Amino acid sequence: MSQAHGTKNEGRGTRAQPDGTMLKVAEVSKSFEGVQALLDVSFEVRAGHIKALIGPNGAGKTTLLNVINGLLTPDSGQVYLRGQELVGRKTEQIALLGVSRTFQLIRLFTVNNATVLDNVLLGAHKHVRPTIGGALFLRGRMARAEKAVREKAMEALSFVGMEWAADMVPGALSFGNQRLVELARSLMSEPELLLLDEPASGLNDAEVERFMELMVAIRERGITILLVEHNMSLVMRVSDHIVVLDFGKWLAEGDPSAICANPAVIEAYLGAECKLDGGPA
Amino acid sequence: MKLLAKYWWIILLLFIALYPPTLGGMSPYRAGVLIFVGIYVILAVSLDLLMGYTGQISVGHAAFFAIGAYVSGILTVKCGVSPLLAMLAGMGLSAAVAWAMGRPVLALKEYYLAMATLALNEIIVTLIIGLQWLTGGASGLRDVPSFSIIGFSFDNQIHYYYLVWAIVALVVASSIVVARSSFGRTLIAIHSDETAAKTFGIDCAAYKVRVYVLSAIFASIAGSLFAHHMGFLAPDDFSVFTSINILVMLYLGGIGTIYGPALGAVFLKLLPEVTLQFQDYEMLMNGVILIIILVFVPKGLFGIVTGIKNRFVTRGAG
Amino acid sequence: MGDFSHLVQFLFSGLTSGSVYALMAVSLVIVYKVSLLICFAQGEFFVVGALTMVTLVSKGLPMPVAFALSVLVAMVLGALVERVLIRPIQHTGVGNLIVMTIAISLALRGSALLIWGKESHILAPFSAGKPIAVLGATLQPQVLWIMGITILVLLVIWLFFEKTTLGVAMRACAENQLGASLMGISTQKAAILSWAWGAGIGALAGMTVAPLLFMQYGSGVMPMVKGFVAMSIGGLASIAGAVIAGFLLGIVEAYTIGLISSQFSDTIVFAILIIVLFIRPSGLFATTGRREV
Repeated sequence: MSQAHGTKNEGRGTRAQPDGTMLKVAEVSKSFEGVQALLDVSFEVRAGHIKALIGPNGAGKTTLLNVINGLLTPDSGQVYLRGQELVGRKTEQIALLGVSRTFQLIRLFTVNNATVLDNVLLGAHKHVRPTIGGALFLRGRMARAEKAVREKAMEALSFVGMEWAADMVPGALSFGNQRLVELARSLMSEPELLLLDEPASGLNDAEVERFMELMVAIRERGITILLVEHNMSLVMRVSDHIVVLDFGKWLAEGDPSAICANPAVIEAYLGAECKLDGGPA
Repeated sequence: MKLLAKYWWIILLLFIALYPPTLGGMSPYRAGVLIFVGIYVILAVSLDLLMGYTGQISVGHAAFFAIGAYVSGILTVKCGVSPLLAMLAGMGLSAAVAWAMGRPVLALKEYYLAMATLALNEIIVTLIIGLQWLTGGASGLRDVPSFSIIGFSFDNQIHYYYLVWAIVALVVASSIVVARSSFGRTLIAIHSDETAAKTFGIDCAAYKVRVYVLSAIFASIAGSLFAHHMGFLAPDDFSVFTSINILVMLYLGGIGTIYGPALGAVFLKLLPEVTLQFQDYEMLMNGVILIIILVFVPKGLFGIVTGIKNRFVTRGAG
Repeated sequence: MGDFSHLVQFLFSGLTSGSVYALMAVSLVIVYKVSLLICFAQGEFFVVGALTMVTLVSKGLPMPVAFALSVLVAMVLGALVERVLIRPIQHTGVGNLIVMTIAISLALRGSALLIWGKESHILAPFSAGKPIAVLGATLQPQVLWIMGITILVLLVIWLFFEKTTLGVAMRACAENQLGASLMGISTQKAAILSWAWGAGIGALAGMTVAPLLFMQYGSGVMPMVKGFVAMSIGGLASIAGAVIAGFLLGIVEAYTIGLISSQFSDTIVFAILIIVLFIRPSGLFATTGRREV
């Protein structure tokens, strides 16, 4: 359990605590088949923060992540990453700009017996960018680069506590462990912004605790996190700031204590006023 | 035993090199059969990179086989170009076609992709038939000379056998190197989940085109070797039926393993030699083989071989 | 006047092949609507239907009986294929299914080759009669049979899928399995039925056009491909679209052969196919608006 803290002062991978606005969502709207999934949603995420995006099912949270990530194009609105426009760019380009993410349903690579290590190595694509010519003619250079990436991958796996599974196939792992592998993979590109889509769903209490520790450690590395989550205990304890969506519209925004006490939020989603640890008042 | 498992390919290469003077009895006929086998190994292996690793279904691989064959044939017969240059020209044209068609074709999924590759194959074949003045049309292109490099002509079947299999070894080795590299890993990501791949910065479209071009170049090489071996080209040899045969080899051998499809090609091309009088059964047999593989042995022959190998190796080590 | 009669002749020829393409396209659409599959082996049902009828007629059976039996044989074959070969690997992914239908097509064609050989077979027209002169062009009476049967079949299909509970349920299968089963049909039964239907219609297409063509074991490949072209143009899951596109394709092809070139008519058809495939938004395999993630 102390793995997460152990890497805090590595030097490599940490950066000066970031400042300013990392992500700005500006009046994003998106509709499908006549359903308005998002309507004029706006909020900001401060650099170095963990911001949670919460709301009832169907509120458009995953849709918003897909818009930020480039998998969906909004009908209107813009998204800014440190001032750079994201809307209109392809997902690959957005990834190269420093955005990484995990998915609600686990999307690990499994074809041709790809291992956990293969998956994590692929997270570093941004730094590797392999070519056929390189594979055939630059064997020496490629081998050296590969060695460096492998070391980094094993570090990432150690960080999440999964280095023992490096040569296993994802299918052989438990759900919770697969989520950890996904997390390790998403860190390989050294992102500035990490989008986590319901990382705690399907995890037991112990696994949720572990995830929370990892998120704190990731934040300490200087990475900004935007977290979509239903687990209120986790959200209240780990978030610096929270934004609430309801029926695709912005409902409220604030720090955990404010959100807990916000009557509109309670009515739409929480059901009852909650304590800061996420339990009922 | 472990040593055997690791260096089996040396033994295989030795076998291929020593076959003609020993078991082959210097028979030109046998060398000829094995030349065909080698050509189809190249075709199957090149398709595996595209289908097995990158997951792009192609029912029209013979299109590039045709381009290589006909460019070699036409340039050597009608323009007196040297076979080596003609082969390079064929590779160039195949690469160009694959590069030009690659992006739009590979943007399609599943059935659309299969149909598009089929259509491309048929367009090439119908063009070959239609452009009679250039290609000899349905009656074929005759008098293609033997392959030659700087004056040395490979008239002798045995000599050509060594040339072909040297090229086969090069193609298989290159394919293995590419497949096992970080490039190959990227292909697997694209095959598994393009959406997830994109979120790590992988430009799926660009990588797909690159593999398409590589597989087209290899298929073209096979086509050129084929042209100089046959001495005569007919459009029938490059139809969708040929593409489908390559697909059967792919699955029979074990898709996604490089060695598997090579094995599949060897098996499927040697089978008619064993069952000479059953020519007419070939189509039915291929279909049945493919069905059996899909339902019962999805990992193909290579899957069976690795299974046996693993059992021996672990037993020896334990 | 001579030119005009040629144009009319091309029209008739186009309508004839158009009917075949329309029927083939519809048979593909039916299977697709229910199982989201496209059957590469459809052309083989076309051939098997026609050649079975040829054999039955040559054994002395009266035409209508041979007709009905051949359709039945094809339907049983289609159902068997679905149950024995498609269903077991349904869960292993689209790629495998595509290759399986290719394998089935190979096996069926190979069987046809063994049973009926490489020769072409001719079927007698359904009714004796001299060619009819229309506007300077000749119309074979068989063409009337083709058009008539085609219209009848399309009507029956339309009625079935639009008006009967079973048909509506089958349409729902691809999109909403739970809803469909609530309406009284399991996806499995629907799948077998759709394959049987599809094979039967494909066979019908083959049988009606057999008197006008030389049928041999490989004659089904092009009709299947052209059926797919029509299906793609008309909208994968639309029966009406498939019909219109099928006839359009037949007519365009006839005029291309007649007026432009017969050598490259197939090249042009395949080029049309590729263009159609490029124009359709890629990845749009189901209904519009389906989210990617």
